[in-house]
Amino acid sequence: MLIDVHELNSGYGKVPILHNVSFNVSEGEMVTIIGPNGAGKSTLLKTISGLVRSKSGSVAFGGQEIAGITPDQAVRKGLAFVPEGGRPFPNMTVMDNLKMGAYSNQEVLKTGILEEMFTLFPVLERRKNQYARTLSGGERQMLAIARGLVSRPRLIMMDEPSLGLAPKLVDEIYEKIRTLKVSGLTVLLVEQNTSYALEVADRGYVLENGRITMEGPANELATSDHIRRAYLGF
Amino acid sequence: MNSKRLLNQRNLLMLAALILAALVPLAFRSDQYAMILMTTVLIYAVLATAWNIIGGMAGQLDLAMGAYLGLGAFTAGTLLIRWSITPWIGMFLGGLVSMLFAMLIGFPLFGFKIKELWYALTSSALVTVMQVIFLMWNGVGGPTEVYLPTRISPLYSLRFNTYMPYYYILLVLLVVVIIFNNRIRYSKLGYSLLALGEDEDAVEVLGVNSQASKLKALMIYAFVCGIVGGLYACIYGYLHPSFFSTNMSTEIAILGIVGGLGITYGPLLAAVLLVSFREYLRASLGGGMEGLYLAVYAVILILIALFQPRGLAPLVNSGYRKLQTFFGELRHGKPADVESH
Repeated sequence: MLIDVHELNSGYGKVPILHNVSFNVSEGEMVTIIGPNGAGKSTLLKTISGLVRSKSGSVAFGGQEIAGITPDQAVRKGLAFVPEGGRPFPNMTVMDNLKMGAYSNQEVLKTGILEEMFTLFPVLERRKNQYARTLSGGERQMLAIARGLVSRPRLIMMDEPSLGLAPKLVDEIYEKIRTLKVSGLTVLLVEQNTSYALEVADRGYVLENGRITMEGPANELATSDHIRRAYLGF
Repeated sequence: MNSKRLLNQRNLLMLAALILAALVPLAFRSDQYAMILMTTVLIYAVLATAWNIIGGMAGQLDLAMGAYLGLGAFTAGTLLIRWSITPWIGMFLGGLVSMLFAMLIGFPLFGFKIKELWYALTSSALVTVMQVIFLMWNGVGGPTEVYLPTRISPLYSLRFNTYMPYYYILLVLLVVVIIFNNRIRYSKLGYSLLALGEDEDAVEVLGVNSQASKLKALMIYAFVCGIVGGLYACIYGYLHPSFFSTNMSTEIAILGIVGGLGITYGPLLAAVLLVSFREYLRASLGGGMEGLYLAVYAVILILIALFQPRGLAPLVNSGYRKLQTFFGELRHGKPADVESH
């Protein structure tokens, strides 16, 4: 198991958000965590990456306990996080944004990672000297994913890559995510867009009110009555 | 990016400006007022250029300049008064004291993620706190002015009766700070500062320790303020808690913002244009109505903020590029390559 989260509790100040959340992701697997707005999905990813401090519970990454580490230490251990909305640096060029992804280990730039990213996202190569603020929503999301991949992470966590994108662009982003999966990357995908997430993932967990309420293979979740009624709308 | 080419147009332009700046005082040697004015402009230019590191690049609206300047002034001044240590050494020790102080202040501030308006308020309050401490601290003069001695040679005690030497010392300091600023801008630290100025959470998940980066920026800035503080004490010839000035601190931040955030030459430009303009207003309007020059000055600042929100530097940059294109067309009959910065 690459990452094993056990009975994780977390929240902001005195407000608890996550209650005894447990899940795991194996090497090469794509796991999705779905759930409604406000369920604590983003908080979960932020807690794992160290942006939010956990209150109790353990996070084992590659067999090593990482609960409570700072975000920059998490990156050095091989954990990449693509935040909600992508959040590229608007006043930096696309190229500089990508290079920021190699901040913790500049050696990685010599391994041809930028060329790989340009092959995966050709639009970024065309835009490489443009400021990120001039990109469209879909391009920003691609830039954010590429920026996360530049560090050659062992696990990449994506927070709602489809957020705020037009349906056509969501298709495009998910096509890229599928490509990443085929390449063997380990991905933890958090989504509100349940149908897309369950279609691409191997396994899924349902997070509701800060608790894991269901889990199973993605295709089984997609056909379960609860999920169909509550999330897929049929 | 042609930053590697030493003699590109931009550097040539800077060199020309530097030579001009070095020659100007010779023309105004006998005009004491002009010398005071030019020295004042340089003080503001050095401080605002240093502010660019923490305020422009790292995006932290720091208003604590006076705290670091005052500490540097009192360190260098007291060393000269008590132990006859030359300010040549004293000002660097002042810089070090300010830097260590900045570390003590910055560590908890950045650790607890105090930022934006809260950082601005905290840093501004710091200046007032320091002023009160020094008003009560009789060991270094308390509320009375303490004069720096001139009994040793002027060169040793850095106490000249003309402004010219100070002007040149400050000019050297300005060049060093600008070069250093440029170095930082394109360094790993510079990129981390620029990025965290835009989005702190996003930069942390890329592996940047934002607390450490901000702390480094603050310490570099405080070091420069401390050095200027040492010179400041020598220029004025006395020590007084009014050196811990919230007004001046705010003004430095304004110059940094009006000049253009994160642009090395922006604050310099703003200092040269605005400080000399303010002093000109003070001289021409000051006699008539008290404070009128400040009102006019404020209106100018508001106009800049309204019509040139990205600062003066981009305005000059685009003008420079237009000129370049114009001359390029004259020479080659086609637009010249526009250099990116």
